[in-house]
Amino acid sequence: MDYKLEAKNANLWYGNKQALKDITLSIEPNSVTAFIGPSGCGKSTLLRCFNRMNDLIEGSRIKGEFLLDKANIYKDIEVYDLRKRVGMVFQKPNPFPKTIFENVAYGLRINGINDKKLLAEKVEWSLKNAALWDEVKDNLNNSALSLSGGQQQRLCIARTLAVEPTVVLMDEPASALDPISTAKIEDLIYELKNKFTIVIVTHNMQQAARVSTKTAFFYLGELIEFDETKKLFTNPEEEKTQNYITGRFG
Amino acid sequence: MSKSNQRKSRIVDKTFKYIGLAFTVFALLVLAVLITDILIKGLTRINWSFFTNLPSRHAANSGILTALAGMLSLLFFTILIAIPIGILAGVYLQEYGTNNKFAKFIEINIANLAGVPSVIYGILGLTIFVRLFGLGNSLLAGAFTLALLILPIIIVATREAIRAVPGTLREASYGMGATKWQTTRRVVIPSALGGILTGIILSISRAVGETAPLLVIGALVYVPFIPEGPNDQFTTLPIQIFNWVSRPQAAFITNAAAGIIILLLITFILNGIAIYIRSKWYKNIKY
Amino acid sequence: MTHLQEELKSLRESLTDMADLVQKQIKKSICSLIDKDEDLANEVLFNEKRVNALELKIDKDCENIFALLTPVAHDMRFVFATLKINADLERIGDYAEGIAQLVLLGKKAFDENLINELDLRNMYDVAYAMLEDVTNAYSDDDSKLARSVFARDLQLNEINRVASDIVIEYSKKNIERMKEALLLLSIIRKLERVGDHITNIAEEVIFHKEAKILKHGNKGEELR
Repeated sequence: MDYKLEAKNANLWYGNKQALKDITLSIEPNSVTAFIGPSGCGKSTLLRCFNRMNDLIEGSRIKGEFLLDKANIYKDIEVYDLRKRVGMVFQKPNPFPKTIFENVAYGLRINGINDKKLLAEKVEWSLKNAALWDEVKDNLNNSALSLSGGQQQRLCIARTLAVEPTVVLMDEPASALDPISTAKIEDLIYELKNKFTIVIVTHNMQQAARVSTKTAFFYLGELIEFDETKKLFTNPEEEKTQNYITGRFG
Repeated sequence: MSKSNQRKSRIVDKTFKYIGLAFTVFALLVLAVLITDILIKGLTRINWSFFTNLPSRHAANSGILTALAGMLSLLFFTILIAIPIGILAGVYLQEYGTNNKFAKFIEINIANLAGVPSVIYGILGLTIFVRLFGLGNSLLAGAFTLALLILPIIIVATREAIRAVPGTLREASYGMGATKWQTTRRVVIPSALGGILTGIILSISRAVGETAPLLVIGALVYVPFIPEGPNDQFTTLPIQIFNWVSRPQAAFITNAAAGIIILLLITFILNGIAIYIRSKWYKNIKY
Repeated sequence: MTHLQEELKSLRESLTDMADLVQKQIKKSICSLIDKDEDLANEVLFNEKRVNALELKIDKDCENIFALLTPVAHDMRFVFATLKINADLERIGDYAEGIAQLVLLGKKAFDENLINELDLRNMYDVAYAMLEDVTNAYSDDDSKLARSVFARDLQLNEINRVASDIVIEYSKKNIERMKEALLLLSIIRKLERVGDHITNIAEEVIFHKEAKILKHGNKGEELR
């Protein structure tokens, strides 16, 4: 199996505190993998290792291997190139205070693409993939901040898709949204797996169950269980997993 | 708490409110009296020739042309010098130098500089620009001195504006593979522009009213010509007013009042623009 | 179409497949009796495994939908209804198997006249039509069609009720053919039970569509 993303005996420390303990897991291409677990379990930390966003945090230190298409993320790939191939969507919608068009075009412009026709094509492609095109196609020059929260988050997804990453990391992408917007994002994620490999961190177990093909349960920096979502949510192997998903702790 | 205690604290509360109100009204009243007094004295003096006349020994023939022109050219050069330096310094301190000792040291000094009396800047300007650089008592020397005076304001405003840009925007930009410079130039500075502009305009309105440092570096009191280049001598409106006020004749006092009205007008307009930009910017940007 | 809608659609298709399979089992079991075709009866016994496997698959699908997609309101009733209909269909499948076994026990020695007297062909026709209708009612969400089976179930009950006396009379006269007569009576009993399960299915279809509970005698007005 050619895995898209892999972590091999991965450890991470923030100062003296160990946030990830010997994590090994492999993520298949064109799948949705959900990371679940109580706060502080390391799920977001692991997610951020895959595009080196932890580099921005002072005092973080890693041991072990993180691979993208078999290449070592921390050694063989330049960080700016990595982040173009592994895009990220954040918890709170964070569009730039620019127009809708310029938000989506941002990633292209920083790559030196300024050809108007090409930009317009890519922006349309991205917005369509993010299921936002029909809602904004007549208002591309309006401020992105005029959109609703759910639309803003889909805009952020479109912005990430514009540079055509192969992997999209999502850090609780719907936790700041109302239920209807959340449902739209979830359906979108379910659709996107046909073109991208998606890894999503979520506090919402139902969300993990709804959108993902595989689920990883973390507890105190350790990977407790990693299995098909169907299996994990109907008959988990580990008692900790069972207790967490049934709401008995965490 | 007992009932009487409650009543007592309510009375204290109310009393304090009314005392505060009284002082506020008093302060505003004083200001109103001053402004009214000046308006009564000076308003009739303002006419077209007041703007177009050169200074003169005869109060009735005197105008503020040279002072106005001097002030505008002085501000032009001040802005030219202060803005790039101020913004770059602010960006450096906030975005790049947050964690080194050198930046911390500079930060403290800038905070101190903002509190230094303006006449000290005049002495500094006299020593460095007028004498050391040999600029003489020229527009350029004045502009450098004023630039020095308003730099801390611009730097602090820039830093505040940049600090207000949420980290999530930077994260979003880095997350797309942008470099630090791309992030700063394309996301951080545009997002902070409203705050930076507000700071710049407020600093200009401060520079408009400055007299002391300019006197120290030798701005002329009587200039019968308009400056034609950065090396020319100059005067400004506050100095012109200062000059008129020190004359014994009543007619010159009227001139001074008229000058003050113009100066106040300029300051109010600048402040108004600053407030407008701020409110417009913050209405459009909600994070 | 949302993820949940997709899953519900495929669940509906699976259960419709299950219903088709069970229909065929019933049809074959009765045909094996009437046409004296033991091969057909053996085929029913063989296919029973497929019915059971399909039942387990649908159970698992329902479990996954509940665990992963948390359906609510009419989506939830649909999955519940499907789960119960699935069990009813499996029981009907069992009766088909039972009938096939009885047919094999009878060794083609059934008396045509007795079959006619018991009205067994008619009973089968009614039961089969009911099963067809209730399947269509399920796949088309047609609660009116579902209601149409309740009255017909009374016909089955009536045929069953008089069957005992007929068999007793017949046995008195043809004591040497009593075994075949009793086998036929058992087949009629099973067909009657099939009718009961079909009405259960109809109740579940109505529960899904209208959230009305018609179980345990609450369908008095439905029959009027």
